[in-house]
Amino acid sequence: MASAPGPERDLRLLAGCLPLYPPPPPTVGLLSMEQQETYLELYLDQCAAQDDLTPPRSPLFNPVVPYGMYILNASNPDTAFNSNPEVKETSGDFSSVDLSFLPDEVTQENKDQPVISSRHETEENSESQSPQSRLPSPSEQDIGLGLNSSSLSNSHSQLHPGDTDSVQPSPEKPNSDSLSLAPITPMTPMTPVSECCGIVPQLQNIVSTVNLACKLDLKKIALHAKNAEYNPKRFAAVIMRIREPRTTALIFSSGKMVCTGAKSEEQSRLAARKYARVVQKLGFPARFLDFKIQNMVGSCDVRFPIRLEGLVLTHQQFSSYEPELFPGLIYRMVKPRIVLLIFVSGKVVLTGAKERSEIYEAFENIYPILKGFKKA
Amino acid sequence: MPGRGRCPDCGSTELVEDSHYSQSQLVCSDCGCVVTEGVLTTTFSDEGNLREVTYSRSTGENEQISRSQQRGLRRVRDLCRVLQLPPTFEDTAVAYYQQAYRHSGIRAARLQKKEVLVGCCVLITCRQHNWPLTMGAICTLLYADLDVFSSIYMQIVKLLGLDVPSLCLAELVKTYCSSFKLFQASPSVPAKYVEDKEKMLSRTLQLVELANETWLVTGRHPLPVITAATFLAWQSLQPADRLSCSLARFCKLANVDLPYPASSRLQELLAVLLRMAEQLAWLRVLRLDKQSVVKHIGDLLQHRHSLVRLAFRDGTAEVETRGKEPPAWGQGQREGEVGNNSLGLPQGKRPASPALLLPPCMLKPPKRICPAPPVSTVTGDENISDSEIEQYLRTPQEVRDFQRAQAARQAATSVPNPP
Repeated sequence: MASAPGPERDLRLLAGCLPLYPPPPPTVGLLSMEQQETYLELYLDQCAAQDDLTPPRSPLFNPVVPYGMYILNASNPDTAFNSNPEVKETSGDFSSVDLSFLPDEVTQENKDQPVISSRHETEENSESQSPQSRLPSPSEQDIGLGLNSSSLSNSHSQLHPGDTDSVQPSPEKPNSDSLSLAPITPMTPMTPVSECCGIVPQLQNIVSTVNLACKLDLKKIALHAKNAEYNPKRFAAVIMRIREPRTTALIFSSGKMVCTGAKSEEQSRLAARKYARVVQKLGFPARFLDFKIQNMVGSCDVRFPIRLEGLVLTHQQFSSYEPELFPGLIYRMVKPRIVLLIFVSGKVVLTGAKERSEIYEAFENIYPILKGFKKA
Repeated sequence: MPGRGRCPDCGSTELVEDSHYSQSQLVCSDCGCVVTEGVLTTTFSDEGNLREVTYSRSTGENEQISRSQQRGLRRVRDLCRVLQLPPTFEDTAVAYYQQAYRHSGIRAARLQKKEVLVGCCVLITCRQHNWPLTMGAICTLLYADLDVFSSIYMQIVKLLGLDVPSLCLAELVKTYCSSFKLFQASPSVPAKYVEDKEKMLSRTLQLVELANETWLVTGRHPLPVITAATFLAWQSLQPADRLSCSLARFCKLANVDLPYPASSRLQELLAVLLRMAEQLAWLRVLRLDKQSVVKHIGDLLQHRHSLVRLAFRDGTAEVETRGKEPPAWGQGQREGEVGNNSLGLPQGKRPASPALLLPPCMLKPPKRICPAPPVSTVTGDENISDSEIEQYLRTPQEVRDFQRAQAARQAATSVPNPP
């Protein structure tokens, strides 16, 4: 083989075994950092495009690709991988890898069977939509990067045929027009693209906290503010309300404040600032530190009835349905960590999110499951 | 050991310090003769140097079952015996209680919570063996609140990571129906009200299955549905004599509590049966109502599968295609007529157009139209005008007035009665 040690040797190996598509790197051997980066980006572009149109080849066919990437990453920690912000997100996530972008069970989807699996991973796979139905722009880059990060984590485990139910072994001829797809756009947009149905969960309530960083005299606040109520025997905080945005705040004597009732993150922040301003005007040196959204609640309607008894049978480890206690089914989704209340009328309440995207993601994960229980 | 002396028996110098239980002894390793012994007990002065260890920090907790746990285990066994459960259930329930007790949160919980925990363990055991025990029954036995019970039940299922199957409806029907005191004549139950148990059970089961199929059971407490079904089954077996008896009177006769939702479940079930009756030609001409349909329940149940298919169309597709139209789901007939003209029969003789098969909550018009919230363009960093903030503050004059009013109120409440 080669006498050069480490990554360079492996690159040459890689170059020798790489499939024709995507094309091998321009120069084999000692690639400079920049060349490695451009190669990486080029490869990722093509991978992302490829993923969108064709199912990825089985790792049995191209085990070298992920392996090669793994070597690259391991030996050159400063590659484009780390310079890319998206990857930081996904690369930290190896323990619960999201393979939902994989166009896996395209055939399963077409058969329209309800998901009957207990392994969460396969469940996630079958839940996902085939990438063809996804709009390419928002998630393309994520798909490409996700593929690599998942390959990185599963680089050795994916060599087992048993795990390939997540990746279909169907090499198809490469599409040459894959590169003409929409350019990669960063980050999930604020308006979600609900590929499944056009139903978008509406945010109903945001709970946030902020630290005013000064001790407060609650009696004085209750005396000088018109919109405050303070009943120390009932609760040790002042309850203040403002009209625009319509919210309620609990203000504690330690200077901490909880703001509830807003319908969006920006409104919550604006409302919290208004409360802080009120406290300031009352003579306290209030500041605005550590504003944090603690909880977001959203709701939507899938517009068809759902057989809750069936859902609890197939998704036992996530669902809890006790009609004697509560008419809805409580579904605790693992990724993202959201609790959904699913009712027989098709209304779904999603709660426990810290980010808006978590709510959208949770709904997109649950919608295919619910569709499986549509038939009476 | 050198320097320790010699064994008096064999004279060897190999003396080993060993402890026999908790007593330290100097023993000759050759002949086993005990040369010297330590003291078994400590003297008072020695004990003065010892420090107190609280029970919770000692290992006593792990080594023996605490009195509280013993009481709990006894309660579990008692409850199993009261409910006349098979003996294997007792052991499983006791095991669950012990498992729960290992968690510190449970060990430190209030007595009320531990009492309810007893009920939870028994309930989980019964559920896993498909024994139809309702939460209401356990709460009555334990004199516990259903809210308290529900919170502890959810907590313990999560804590122990248990897989609790749902309540088995068929078994519940059998148990619940058998508790109705209608199978023998008695001073309170006239002869015409007495019914054969098997016939009533089978008919009730069929009615409950019908209710399940037509979305009357999902999301609702199971017991009121079964009460309504039992009543209908009982009535339909001898309608001539029993139509005059109301649901409330029926439950009083049978010595069973009438759950509040049972009457509305009864109405829903009758509505379903009426729709099914519309599909049978010989019943359509009779123009049945909620009273007269009871006489034909036997026939309807016999053909229930095909009748349901004919009488109802899939509400799911219908709802989706409707989209954003104003809610008119209650008028399923109107839509049906529009889509059902292919039959070619004259208007009068045509079977009723299929109604939507949806849960009752979806058939009722929504209480209020929820307008889509306007898209807000708030950025969160806007300027906050002083005037906006000042509207929430009291002027000094208002503060003085408020304080005066508060003082006056205090004075009024503190002075009890003017002389």
